[in-house]
Amino acid sequence: MTEVRAEMVANVWQVVASEGESVADGDTLVILESMKMEIPVLAEGPGTVTKLAVAEGDVVQEGDLIAVIE
Amino acid sequence: MPSSSDRGRPGGGAAGPAGPVLPVGLRASVRAVVTEADTAAGMGSGDVPVLATPRLLALAEAATVVAVGPSLGAGLTSVGTSVALEHRRASPLGAEIDVEAELTEVDGQRLVFSFIARAADTDEDVVIGAGTVERVVLDRERFIARAAQKPAVDRG
Repeated sequence: MTEVRAEMVANVWQVVASEGESVADGDTLVILESMKMEIPVLAEGPGTVTKLAVAEGDVVQEGDLIAVIE
Repeated sequence: MPSSSDRGRPGGGAAGPAGPVLPVGLRASVRAVVTEADTAAGMGSGDVPVLATPRLLALAEAATVVAVGPSLGAGLTSVGTSVALEHRRASPLGAEIDVEAELTEVDGQRLVFSFIARAADTDEDVVIGAGTVERVVLDRERFIARAAQKPAVDRG
């Protein structure tokens, strides 16, 4: 199980993946927006997205859980 | 979702638009004469007839744009994200100001500049202000489109 966490304070701009979806290494899970930049959060390995903890428009703090991949 | 955001690097780092890596040391200057519109009173940032601090910042940002603009890839632009500015000396109406910016750091799509503003109408080295400007390199059209979209609905 891999927990994907935010590396910085950001707005959740787009949620790309969905719960139950299979993802490959490097797939985009969500796109954050911080300091005017788009910052994709990528799967760091293959698996199934078992939890998506954020919705578009959310504000995440550094360390907040974004997704769980198993 | 077909998206150019897939250009992101593994690990979730910032996704930089594919452009040339800019060399540290790029620099440019802009010059301006203080008119009524440039003053604190004219800009509404104060009530005295001397160069407004936001006008000085605008000149500094303009210098940063000139410094890197020609080196950015097609379709790319840069936008400001952070500034630090010391406004050390007042410049009256008619004063001529030279602001030079230099690219001092490149970190992915993030650019850091230093700038210094000097009096251009004297032989002496009169520093009017100095500081730093940070900008990020972005796809111009994509950024404009994203900015035009309203934030997602409030989900409580």
